Amino acid sequence: MIKRIFIRDTNSSSVDKARDFCNAFRNQLRERQMDEKVQLIRAADMGVYNQGIVMRILPDDFLYGQVEEKDIPRIIAETVCGGKCVCDLVCHHAAKQCRIVLRNCGAVDPESIEDYIARDGYQALAKVLEQNDPEKVLAELKVSGLRGRGGAGYPTWLKWNLARNVKVNQKYVICNGDEGDPGAYMDRSVLEGDPYSVIEGLTIAGFVTGASKGYFYIRAEYPLAIERVQKALDRAYACGLLGENIFGSTFRFDAEIRLGAGAFVCGEETALIASIEGKRGYPRPRPPYPSTQGLWGKPTVINNVETLANISPILLKGGKWFSGIGTETSKGTKVFAVTGKVKNSGLVEVPMGTSIREIVFDIGGGAGGGKKVKAVQTGGPSGGVIPEDFFNTPVGYENLQKIGSIMGSGGMIVMDESDCMVDIAKFYLRFCVDESCGKCAPCRIGGTQLLNLLEKISDGKGNEEHLPALRRISFAMQKASLCGLGQTAPNPVLSTLNYFEEEYRTHVIEKRCPAKKCGKLFRYSIIQDKCKRCGLCVRNCPSDAISGNREKGYVIDEAKCSRCGLCLETCKPNAILRG
Amino acid sequence: MNRLKKEDLNRIKEEYGKRKKDWIKVGCSTCGIAAGAQEVFETLCREVKEHHLDIDVKKCGCAGMCYAEPLVEVNVEGMPRVFYGKVTSETADKIIEKHVRGKMLMDDHIYDLKVHQSDGEAGLL
Repeated sequence: MIKRIFIRDTNSSSVDKARDFCNAFRNQLRERQMDEKVQLIRAADMGVYNQGIVMRILPDDFLYGQVEEKDIPRIIAETVCGGKCVCDLVCHHAAKQCRIVLRNCGAVDPESIEDYIARDGYQALAKVLEQNDPEKVLAELKVSGLRGRGGAGYPTWLKWNLARNVKVNQKYVICNGDEGDPGAYMDRSVLEGDPYSVIEGLTIAGFVTGASKGYFYIRAEYPLAIERVQKALDRAYACGLLGENIFGSTFRFDAEIRLGAGAFVCGEETALIASIEGKRGYPRPRPPYPSTQGLWGKPTVINNVETLANISPILLKGGKWFSGIGTETSKGTKVFAVTGKVKNSGLVEVPMGTSIREIVFDIGGGAGGGKKVKAVQTGGPSGGVIPEDFFNTPVGYENLQKIGSIMGSGGMIVMDESDCMVDIAKFYLRFCVDESCGKCAPCRIGGTQLLNLLEKISDGKGNEEHLPALRRISFAMQKASLCGLGQTAPNPVLSTLNYFEEEYRTHVIEKRCPAKKCGKLFRYSIIQDKCKRCGLCVRNCPSDAISGNREKGYVIDEAKCSRCGLCLETCKPNAILRG
Repeated sequence: MNRLKKEDLNRIKEEYGKRKKDWIKVGCSTCGIAAGAQEVFETLCREVKEHHLDIDVKKCGCAGMCYAEPLVEVNVEGMPRVFYGKVTSETADKIIEKHVRGKMLMDDHIYDLKVHQSDGEAGLL
């Protein structure tokens, strides 16, 4: 059998040594007349980072790291000819992903119900309806320890049980697909890549709680997700998996899509219900909780997309299996959307308890361009910033809360040393101010005041008294706001202030932005001695801020300059100074 | 399609298990489409038709490696299952020419491979 060897230089230096290494390897194979039996392939990614030359050998599936040219003869003799492992070269593949929610994403055709069924789809629903015992499902979910994946982490079985215990003729279940956190797109991918698993989860939720009607609340910004869920619903109706007498039982369940019109607050359950009812997306005080009085005053269960996608694997493989994954209080896996200043942005599903370091460095590949990772932001505008010192924290609901952030729905934005924390806090706060519904004063007024203060600080007009003021307003918002949006909106401010107070102080005392992000605290200028008069900066400047000519040289007009930094990037002789 | 019964589920599953056909999957979620997956998909379909190849070209969801989209997963019998990343129509042409017809893996485009059927799937299936 032909051997296939994948080779990749995993060091992030500017010179890629893989090509030379491959040539050396190929020459040595040729000397031994073995080049017909082995194919060498330069891989573009191996999922391993900073381990020098890494090679993976198939079909044996050995992974070697830090391989050098002197090792080639050994590898040829022992592994290629002998099929044995060269033990001292073995590279241990760290953090592995574990796919439960994303089990079908990328594997099935989202528009084919047969594809889903071929991968054990609808087996859980069939089993549940055959056994016809909702209590048993609840017991299984209780054992599994599944908690809501939308952010709050309320035990799913408890939520279902509360709604189940209310004796009325009409109840509802809702799938919350109003994913609004900047940078988070887990739910979108699941709805687009595996809509049937969510439909199956929702149907089971309907059966257990006694609801005969379900809604998919999906934000209108996800046209493809809406299209695929709609197709899946139509197909499920056609196959008798929605509607009357599902799988020959007496159970009836209908589901339809309702679109969210783009308000962030509608991801909050009471506002979401108002929105489905056709009212303005205003939250209301709880209790009564939706489980007892929700949509149109009826008991309603609202579950996140990811929670529902977890249901059928749990019922098929058992709650015990699920609770075997994860930590003491947080069971199972969590999908994170890793974005920002990270080499491999994308969706990552890891068991709870995996450390942030493993997610960012082992799976994400660390920050690109040789820069240092400074912090990650989790939980979107309701979450906080976690500095690099805390990266060994295992992810879980309580663990992240302890260090001033939340797991939230699973957005994870990586920041490197070129990110300014005041700027980050400003960004998230502006988002919350835009999205505040305006019903309660702490959120409406407090948010705006916080934003004003942050803007002053980043414009260099701040003073030391502004820092305690930030804390005071934040505290008031946390205590007095009506819903989760206002209560959590100051979190990014508080956590950056706690962990990066020094950076705030540099802004207000020295009037300097260490990361060179706050535009009014630094300027660009041209070092005339270094300037080669090529004019590249003039041509690239989008705001016409550079004037001059080849004879006289060039100057930057500070008033016109938008601080985009394009001149700095394009200048070959490094004649642009930032400071 | 008729209303499904529980037995039908197992029948469909079995039928799928018996299929021993080569396939190509193109990640066509928002992330893939934004990176140009539609064009890649069309190129692959066209090439397969032109050369009368016995291989399925299918759309699927996001496999998670959004940085490497458009992502194309190729399964040809006797070869490891690999993910080609950052595929353009030109690379798609080459995938058909080299990988599918020539049975040779391509340099510089492989982002991941699956050796075992259940790689990273938490023991499901």
